[in-house]
Amino acid sequence: MRALFSSRFPTAGSVRSLALAGLMVVGLAGCATAPPADDPEAVAEFKELNDPIEPTNRVFYAINTALDDALLAPVARGYRAVFPDVVRTGISNVLVNLGTPVRLGNDILTGKPRRAGDTTMRFFINSTAGVLGFFDVAAGMGYKKTDTDFGLTLANLGVEEGPFLFLPILGPSGPRDLTGFVVDRAADPFTWVGQGTAVVALGWSRTGVSAISVREKVLDPVEQIKKTALDPYATFRSLYRQYRTAELTKLKNDNRATIPVWFPDRAGEQINPPAR
Amino acid sequence: MTDRRGFLLAALGAGAAAAMPGSAHAQAAERASAFIKTTGERLVAVVNGPGSPADKRHAIGQIIVAAVDVDAVGRFCLGRFWRQTSPDQQKTYLALFQEVLITNITAKLGEYQGVKFTLGRARPQDEEQVVSTVVERPNSAPATVDWVVTKPAAAPRIIDVIAEGTSLRITQRSDYSAYLQRNNNSIEALLAAMKSQAVLNK
Repeated sequence: MRALFSSRFPTAGSVRSLALAGLMVVGLAGCATAPPADDPEAVAEFKELNDPIEPTNRVFYAINTALDDALLAPVARGYRAVFPDVVRTGISNVLVNLGTPVRLGNDILTGKPRRAGDTTMRFFINSTAGVLGFFDVAAGMGYKKTDTDFGLTLANLGVEEGPFLFLPILGPSGPRDLTGFVVDRAADPFTWVGQGTAVVALGWSRTGVSAISVREKVLDPVEQIKKTALDPYATFRSLYRQYRTAELTKLKNDNRATIPVWFPDRAGEQINPPAR
Repeated sequence: MTDRRGFLLAALGAGAAAAMPGSAHAQAAERASAFIKTTGERLVAVVNGPGSPADKRHAIGQIIVAAVDVDAVGRFCLGRFWRQTSPDQQKTYLALFQEVLITNITAKLGEYQGVKFTLGRARPQDEEQVVSTVVERPNSAPATVDWVVTKPAAAPRIIDVIAEGTSLRITQRSDYSAYLQRNNNSIEALLAAMKSQAVLNK
């Protein structure tokens, strides 16, 4: 089981050593000190921030930033310099298309039939007419991409985001979204399908290319934030949480009907009666 | 069938009656949308237009000062620390805030070319109107940008910009708040940091 897990689940081995390293850093850095009780506004703010292990999070933020500066950002800049826009968009589209099973599962779990339908149509259209997902032709046909993940599925069920976590490699998160990430990875058929060196290599390539592709897209905004924020860590924390809340609101408000145009409407008449 | 029709008509009538007192709201929405349309078009004209970065910076700065309630945003961003700040410090802070805001926005917009924006719907939010727009740039996905407009009917001013669900003023406030907490809540430290930032990013 252990061997199977580590060979098929691309991050399992590294997660273990990172967790160990993480525990050591937690021991070193410790927890945030709460403000004195006689300052109610400061106390309220401290509770609202919900970042009890802030010093530890900041250590990981510093480590990730150093890794990013040394490795991921330069690679992403090279990727941008080498490949033209059309190719980069195509690669990103292929990666999005590969994420269909997980996205569809979450569309269903959040009870959004229209989103599930769009995700399915996108997969069939883009995998065929879109040449294995390279071209997003489905978007032009009205099947727009929607974002979802198991963290949002949990949020939709009322699970709170919990204390803020800045994770090694993965970046901003929290217990709910971290659980979502692990569940999504485990639920991804590509994690389990096939075996042998080629499959493992493909799995790793997907993870690597995905990281570079995503990083390339945010090169400019991240640079901008680092340049303009007095405390980039706090700014990323705020942005991450606002973004997740906005995604949840978008999900909750997406109640588009699934009724086909030929279906009799409520007044007992047909809109667009089918041609005879 | 006829019954249902009659019911529908009655429902429509009731809907229209309910909408009547809301005509002030409709007017506010219209005014706010028109205001964002004019401001947006002016910004896009500068961003896409010719001119050196310095010229653009100057022009964008003028548009921001005219369209944004900079002092209100500045006060909001200082949050609970505003009241602990002396009038002199408040004055210095607001002047610096305006400078940093213009610099940051110009830095963000300055490199863009071929920007397009589409006006969406306006919706009321407390006393304000939120005007939705979609901003498009070459080679990036369209972004939803909401503009919060205060006093839409009398003297419309922008008090927040919400890009893809993230509010500019809330993000800025958390940045300042975190900086203050890590510097013994010292307003002077914040002012010094803002000053060096304004110089650095110019």
